[in-house]
Amino acid sequence: MSFKKVEECERTKLEHFLSKFQLPHPFKKVGAGIVVLSFVLLTVIKFIDTEPSWMRLFLKHVMIVGLLVISISREKIEDELIEILRSKSYALAFIIGVVYTMLQPVVNYVVNMILGTQEEVDNVYYFEVLLFMLLIQVGFYELLKRNR
Amino acid sequence: MKNTIKVERAILNLTQDELAQKIGVSRQTINSIEANRYVPSTVLALKLSELFGKPVNDFFKLSNEDRN
Repeated sequence: MSFKKVEECERTKLEHFLSKFQLPHPFKKVGAGIVVLSFVLLTVIKFIDTEPSWMRLFLKHVMIVGLLVISISREKIEDELIEILRSKSYALAFIIGVVYTMLQPVVNYVVNMILGTQEEVDNVYYFEVLLFMLLIQVGFYELLKRNR
Repeated sequence: MKNTIKVERAILNLTQDELAQKIGVSRQTINSIEANRYVPSTVLALKLSELFGKPVNDFFKLSNEDRN
């Protein structure tokens, strides 16, 4: 049996699907560009009084798309160690994301008590959670990759 | 798990980069295997075995910690 066939035996159909689901390596830079651009524009419109109401939400969504593009872009050489590091970073981002989602209302409540403000404390916005999880995934993946 | 991949590589006069290209992984992966930070899959071990012309047991050894 050739090595190619052995390799195919070890891979399930789901793994095949996931490997095809990834974007080519150059998309990593495209994703980074989208994130930087949306971040700059979000910072700029913060100082503009007459910004359209949909603009902020739109740019936040663009930023999440940019991070997702970085997250699912392949490496130049996508080997088994990279796959393991990527899996670890997703697992870590999921666990930290769940803990963050559970703790954030409590932290908000405590901060509001200290500051004496009256803000909604039981809402965790999906944007914050998604942004946090994607940032954790991308950050830890790069960290693991550098220390491999 | 201990390995003597560095020795086998030296016998064949290959750099980490050359070995990596021959078995289709990155140079960093070879470096991680040589430094015992990463234990490769069976497929990768067999690819190395084929390249070195030796059984896997000749360059991968269980350490005492692995036996417990």
